[in-house]
Amino acid sequence: MTSAKTAKRLTRILSMLPYVIANPGVSVGDLSERFGYRRQELIDDLNLVFLTGLPGYGPGDLIDATVEDDEVYVDTADYFARPLRLTPPEALALLASGMALTSAGQGPPALESAISKLSKVVAPEAEGGLVVDLKEPEFVGLLRDAVEGGLVVALTYTALGSGKTTERSVEPWSVFSANGNWYLSAFCRTADAERVFRVDRIREAAATDEAFTPPEAAPPPEVRYTPGEEDVRTVIGLGPAAQWVAEYYPVEDLGNGKIRFSSGDPAVAARLLLRLGEDAELIEGSEVAELLSDYRQRIRVRYAGTSPSGLSGK
Amino acid sequence: MQTIHLSEPWRVHNPRVSKVIERILNLLAFLLTVGRPVSAEEIRFTVAGYEQDEDEAFRRMFERDKELLRQLGISLELQATDAYEVEYGYVVPEGGYELPDPGLTDEERAALWLAAQAVRLGGQPSGPEAIFKLGGVPGAIGGEPLSADLGEEVGLLGDLFTAVVEHRIAEFTYREKARAFKAYGLVHRRGHWYLVGALLSGDIRAFRVDRITELSLRDATGAFERPADFDVNRSIPDAPWEAGPEEMTAEVVFDPEVAWWARREMGANAEISEEADGAIRATMPVAHPEAFIGWLLGFVDQAECISPPELRQRLLDRVGGAS
Repeated sequence: MTSAKTAKRLTRILSMLPYVIANPGVSVGDLSERFGYRRQELIDDLNLVFLTGLPGYGPGDLIDATVEDDEVYVDTADYFARPLRLTPPEALALLASGMALTSAGQGPPALESAISKLSKVVAPEAEGGLVVDLKEPEFVGLLRDAVEGGLVVALTYTALGSGKTTERSVEPWSVFSANGNWYLSAFCRTADAERVFRVDRIREAAATDEAFTPPEAAPPPEVRYTPGEEDVRTVIGLGPAAQWVAEYYPVEDLGNGKIRFSSGDPAVAARLLLRLGEDAELIEGSEVAELLSDYRQRIRVRYAGTSPSGLSGK
Repeated sequence: MQTIHLSEPWRVHNPRVSKVIERILNLLAFLLTVGRPVSAEEIRFTVAGYEQDEDEAFRRMFERDKELLRQLGISLELQATDAYEVEYGYVVPEGGYELPDPGLTDEERAALWLAAQAVRLGGQPSGPEAIFKLGGVPGAIGGEPLSADLGEEVGLLGDLFTAVVEHRIAEFTYREKARAFKAYGLVHRRGHWYLVGALLSGDIRAFRVDRITELSLRDATGAFERPADFDVNRSIPDAPWEAGPEEMTAEVVFDPEVAWWARREMGANAEISEEADGAIRATMPVAHPEAFIGWLLGFVDQAECISPPELRQRLLDRVGGAS
């Protein structure tokens, strides 16, 4: 057993003891359920506690931990009457996840009061110092209901990179948030394949009344992108101001500031290069180069058609 | 409906581990009742479980035990054992062991536990230890209302949270520059964690937590006060181009086909009017022109920056000449 496991076991003991001290006679069943014990584990831990106490280590010095008629009692251990304080990561994890739920409109009323009570105890001098914002885009509620009800959904979807809009019929598996974006993991009947859609790119969504059978083991909710055989591959040189690209996208680092960027659609790479301007250079990828040059030309044409100071026009 | 299991069972109770746990419980019982700083030597010869013949074996064992106490969240300080400050001993300072009672109900504990299960930090849902410390949860029942990943290693965030809570100066490297910083708050917005606060000069700054390296906290607590008019919630703007050194108002037209998307992306500070054909015209504050131009170019030729002229020109410069 590693020290992390030892720490976990000690934490559970030092959490369970205050509860028993405050609730003498609590049943073995209730206590086990509350602290996630199996019966024998609890008995083992109580037996261990019984061997400890204060120097002298005689009958009056040791902790008196007993189980009588299925009732648990702990005496002469008042120094363990209060539970351990939370470590900063523990406090942060509880508060941040609670705030994420409430900001997404998902928390029960008890969660709001719990966050408020806990903040006062763990961050008394820093009220309002932690903010977690996880706003839900449109359709998250509708999609979540469709996942739960097992209903096919009709989507109008605009792909992130290419900007192409398609109509799709999907079997929704799960709705989740990662890196600040909401995603729908689904089986796309139109593509006849598993797909992950960005919810904020869903232009329209409507649940149908057609039910589907969800897979027994749906893939875990995560964003994944594995370059495929037919993907367009480009080599891009990144200037200092564009180094974030290598961290932001799943790319292959070729060294010397060069990356290999793969995508299902050349428009994804072309749009990225358009954004980066002189901070990046396309080294390989003729299809992307053509598209990029087309984009640039289209923009120049549009901007040439209006006077800088005023009227919109097309 | 499913029952949430609070933890994996520990299948075997290894006798060697039981010895460690017994010794730690004895050590804690002693430290929490003795009421004065106690030296390592006194601990060695008083607390059951430290029967070590060799100095070196004891030293190693005691170091490991101190680390274990730290992991549990217990703080241990060295203080002089008498007024002459010749000898130093260990003491659990006031507030160094126990959690003040937050007065949670079982319903509130269950709500927190459910939240901790639904939301991940650094890819991991939190373990049940924090909920145990708060008093456990009786038969927590529930589905999975939300599946969200807030990103980031909880270790680094935990240290930054400590800086915020204890008002300690944080020192770190950000983009190869050393910084000393008054941490006023932590904000998770648009998918990133930000540390907000002030440099020692008083200048307000926001740093992306995932770009912070080599973090350490100065020892002194209460080293600064957060100004009363500093609102952590408003310190990170809604749209990324609203934070920056410049100040201008941009006017943009979006074509009907992309109007829906533009509406979703613009922050609450944009003023939007719709034209007859479904196109929209928006006026919005821009403080970071480069971020703004990058965003606008994502629309290719389906959006156009109308004014100010210098912003329009910068966009065209980014697009470049004939290529």
